[in-house]
This record gives sequence, structure tokens and C-alpha cells, in this order.
Amino acid sequence: MAERPKLSIVVPFFNEEESIRPLHAAIVGALEPLGERFEMVFVDDGSGDRTFENAVEIARSDPRVRVVKFRRNYGQTPAMAAGIEQARGDVIVTMDGDLQNDPADIPRLLAKIEEGFDIVVGWRHDRQDKLVSRKVPSRAANALIARVTGVPIHDNGCSLKAYRATLIKRIPLYSEMHRFIPAVAFIAGPRIAELKVRHHARRFGRSKYGLSRIYKVLLDLFVIKTIASFTSRPLTWFGMLSLPPLLGAAVLAGATLAALADGGRFDLPIAGSAVIFLTSTVILISAGALAELVYKLGDVRELEFSGLTQRVRARALPSTPLPPQTAHPTGGRPC
Amino acid sequence: MLKSGAPIDLTVLIPVGGRHADVAGLWADYETGLRKLGLTYECIVILDGPRPDVAPRLERLAAESKCVTVLELTRSFGEATAIMAGFERARGQIIVTLPSYPQIDAADLPKLVRALDRCDLAVAHRTPRAGTVFERLRRRIFHGLIARVTGLSFHDLGCNARAIRRRVLEEIVLYGDQHRFLPVLADRHGFRVAEVDLRQSPRDRRQGRYPLREYTRRALDIFTVFFLVRFTKRPLRFFGMIGTTVFAAGALITAWLVAERLFLSHALADRPALLLSSLLVVLGLQLFAIGLLGELIIFTHARELKDYQIDKVIEFPAVEEPDRALRAAAVAPEPARAEHFRAV
Repeated sequence: MAERPKLSIVVPFFNEEESIRPLHAAIVGALEPLGERFEMVFVDDGSGDRTFENAVEIARSDPRVRVVKFRRNYGQTPAMAAGIEQARGDVIVTMDGDLQNDPADIPRLLAKIEEGFDIVVGWRHDRQDKLVSRKVPSRAANALIARVTGVPIHDNGCSLKAYRATLIKRIPLYSEMHRFIPAVAFIAGPRIAELKVRHHARRFGRSKYGLSRIYKVLLDLFVIKTIASFTSRPLTWFGMLSLPPLLGAAVLAGATLAALADGGRFDLPIAGSAVIFLTSTVILISAGALAELVYKLGDVRELEFSGLTQRVRARALPSTPLPPQTAHPTGGRPC
Repeated sequence: MLKSGAPIDLTVLIPVGGRHADVAGLWADYETGLRKLGLTYECIVILDGPRPDVAPRLERLAAESKCVTVLELTRSFGEATAIMAGFERARGQIIVTLPSYPQIDAADLPKLVRALDRCDLAVAHRTPRAGTVFERLRRRIFHGLIARVTGLSFHDLGCNARAIRRRVLEEIVLYGDQHRFLPVLADRHGFRVAEVDLRQSPRDRRQGRYPLREYTRRALDIFTVFFLVRFTKRPLRFFGMIGTTVFAAGALITAWLVAERLFLSHALADRPALLLSSLLVVLGLQLFAIGLLGELIIFTHARELKDYQIDKVIEFPAVEEPDRALRAAAVAPEPARAEHFRAV
């Protein structure tokens, strides 16, 4: 194996047989002047055309190219995840395979990473897409995402992003989460920068996404928010969920007792409801205990996330990020 | 009695469960069919639990034949586990599972194996198939439900004759009753699956009626597939949706009852509907909590539960490395992963 590259460019392709050669040429043209060692990871997401064959031909002539092949079409996020998994560089840049992103922007993203940012997000400020079906829903979704996550990013959908490899390789990616890498990464609280990038109209092929995505995006957003807020303290979270039924139980039991004290009759519907609510409280808290156990046995640790981005400011210590391997094996929270 | 050695073309696995015919005689039929392929083959018979009626003859067969191995399990583990146990010893590049009682015409075996030229997994479809109108209806309902849940149309999941490329079983770990749904699981792993029409064995005669237990099992099978397909990927989406609906219904009824109490002075004490509404509220909360728990499990294990399977990674070594440059290409297949719970 050659020396480890400093930079990995990850590009998923799905039926882009015409785009792949010009894109390779553009990436090489943009990165060679930098004089850094880099590699390209081309992921063929189960294309039905000659994308894979073309990619292999490119790899044959350029040893910096590695081709990852899927057996069938899994979608853009799994393709990105596979590419990120295979990438060996210290900095990973992801981009679309359809030539809408411009590799000439990569050096600027890298400069931002050098400045100390952990994630640099592209912003297609001059977007070359259809207004109604692409731009409007995307703008609404981005505004919503920015509000919920508190990360003021204008364009979550832009694939052109740069990450520190240690960070992105540790963040669990799943479903449509590439839209939310900034949001998910907020679990780790990275320094995120946004950079205006060029955006070209499609030259080849057809666009693969439409309006229907926004529904999924919203659902995922909710899941991420929930998970991000409760992972490390599930018992607290389930405890909160159990408060309304507990309150209901208290009120209803109080009503029953008051009625009995008044010498009234025993009301089955009210007393029964009190018991039902009380049962629910107990079960929810038990579920919380179970969740606590699951978290303990899982392999996601907040301490580890905190280690990915922290800087140590002290006279005797070097101000480099703590390597994730030194995370405390028993987990626990950062103090 | 592990017969180790060079890899061969084809391994036949015959799991012998509770329902079986004379397996030694059956193997003779199968062997006649297989010979026509001109491939090297071996046969592994897995006795799933003690089978004293067939074991002695099979042991004699194993002693005489060069290509038959008999694997005896001390208790009955179920067909899926029996297949996996046999696969651990299989040397063939192609695995063929065959039923331990006559289902298909053994002369058609070459057709099943040759179907692998265009797919990774070939399952048999017995056709034309004998059976009463009632049996036909029953099969249609079962496969119709499976098709609804998975979006895949199969006609004969009950047939145990399948030809499988080795890599499929290296990737998919079967357990429980999942052997029947191997085609569904394989499809979700991105393998190409095909159905092959084979003639039914003239001796494949079942009694027309199943015990009730069998129906319960089939229904649970469909349930299992449903959860494997829907739940294991996005639990909160699934449970959250149901939970929220139930919760909303309960909350509405409660609000109505409370409003009646406040404005129309209907005493809550006389309203059994209060029990219903509080039950609904509680049920909704609980379903939601289960979805959260599921989501938490997936999140904390996200690194093991990958959404994708890499077929292969292709890279060409740089020219300055002389020893590697000699090789045309370094093709590194992704190691098989035990990834049974999240198929896609």
C-alpha cells in the first residue's frame, strides 16, 4: 500500500457513465496544483449502465482511484457511507457524481479545514435547478432544519462537504442522514463553516430526486432530534414521558379518595383509569431502565464524541484533538 | 467426519427434520439428476435431531460413498440452523439445498443449478402442481400476503429445493424459520433471485389438510417477515406512527368526556368510555416508547448494522511497487458479515 493520502474525495455514482471521466479530470486538475497526496473513492451505486466499467478503466490508468462496487442500488447515503468507510485520508471530501458540484471549490474547503474547522459545508447560493420542484421545498426544509438544530446552514442538501476523517468516521450514518450530517455531527459539537460554492446545471443524465423527499427529511429530522437529545440519558427521557400518565393517575386517584371521604360511592371508571395510568408510568420507567442498559452495551459514547473535537488549552499540553481511542472504556459523560 | 480437501463445484445439503422419506433412496435419485451436470459434487445430510429410522442406512451410505457426509445434531435445532450447520462443512462453490422427502422431479435438478448462470439464488417452483382447489387458494393467500409485505412475488416458498451461490450464505445468517424466506432476505441483500419452474415429483402427495398449528405458524412467519422488512430499519417511524394515532384517538375521547363534564355536567363517574380513552392514551405512549427503544438500539449499534453491502473494492497498485504491479488487479471482496437483522 502506498503512503496514506492526506485527502480523500468520495463520489457516489448512479448511472453517470458520461459524467465520470470529466469529473475525474476536473478533480485531478483541481487538486494536483496543491501538491498534496490525495485519493479518489468512486462508489458505483448499482448502476445499470457502463459507470462501473468506466470507473475501472479510470482506476487502471490512475492508481489514486479506488472503485467500490455495490451489488445493487442502495441510495446516496449508503454509497457515501461506504465511500467514507473505504477512504484513507485525514480529510474527506464528498461530492455528487453528476458534475453539478465543481471540484475547483475543493481547495477552498480544504483551506477552511486548515483554519481549524471540523466540517465545511458547501452552499449552492446560485442554484441551477428547477424552482418549484427543487428550490422551494429545499429552502423550506433548510429553514426548518436550521431552526430545529440551531445550526444556521443554508443548504443541507449540498453534497460538496469536507470533514475531518476522525469525526465523520465515528458519527453513525444511517437512512437519509447525509442531509443531516451537520445536524448529527452536532452530537459532537464540531466547528462548522459554510462556504459558497459553484453549482452547474446538469450536463448529462437526469435528476434523480424530486419533491417526495421532503416528507422523509422531516421524519428523519424528528428522529435525530429525539435521539440526539436523549441517547446518553434515556432514563431521564422515559421518565419525562411517564410524567403525564403519572399526573393523570394522581388526579384520578385523588378524585376517587375525595369521593370516598365524602361518603360517596366508589366509581369504577375513575378508579380504573387511575390504575391504568399508574401501570403505564411503571412500564415506561421500566422501558427507561432497559434503554439505559442498551446504551451501556452499545458502542456510542458521548465521551468519545467530545474527544473528537475538543482542543486542549494548557501550557504543557499540545493543542491537538484527543484521539478517540483514549476515550474512557466505561463510557460516561464528559464532565 | 469432516472431509477436507480442495474446493469442489457443488455441495448438496439435505436437512432431515420431522417429515422425511427414505433419504438414502432419495439421494440416489438426486445423484442421477446431478450427474448430468458434469460437475464435481458432495452431499451433506444433516440429521436435525435423532432420526433412528433413517440414521443407520445413511451411516452405511456415508461409509460406502466417497461423496456423502452425514452430520448428526444431538437435538432438533430447526431447518435453518441445520442448513447453516451443513454449510459450515460445505466445500462447494454452489450450494444446493434439497428436501428430505420427494418434492421435485430429480431429473430437473440440472435446470435448477444452471439457472445460477443468470442469478445468485434460484428457488424452485413446482409446476404444474397437484392439489385441491382449497390447497391452491391457501397457497395463493400465503404468497399474496408475502407479496404485499415485501413487494416480491414468489409462488412456492414452501419448496426446499434451492440453488445458492456460496457468497449468499456467507453473507446471510439464517436462524429460526428463516430458511423459507431466504429468497426475500437475499433480495434485500442485493442478490439476484430467480424462480425456476420444475416438475413436481409424482410422489409429492401431502394429506389435504394441515393441523391448525401449521396455519398459526404460517401466519407468524408472515408476521416475522413483516417485522424484518419494516421494523428493523426505522422503528420509530413504524411504532411512532401507530403510537401517535392511538394516542391522538385516546386524547380526543378524553377531551370530549372532560368537555362534557365541564359544560354539560355529565359526571365522569358514569362514563365507562373513560376507561377506553385512558387505555388508548396509555397504549399510544407505550408504542411510542417501544419505537424509541428500537431507535436507540439501532443508533448505538449503527456501526455494526450497515445499510449496505460492498460487492467488491477495485484498486490498481501504483507502478512503483514492482511486486504488486505484476498482478492485473487487486480485487478484495468485502468479508462476510453476520448481519441478519437489518437486511437492507
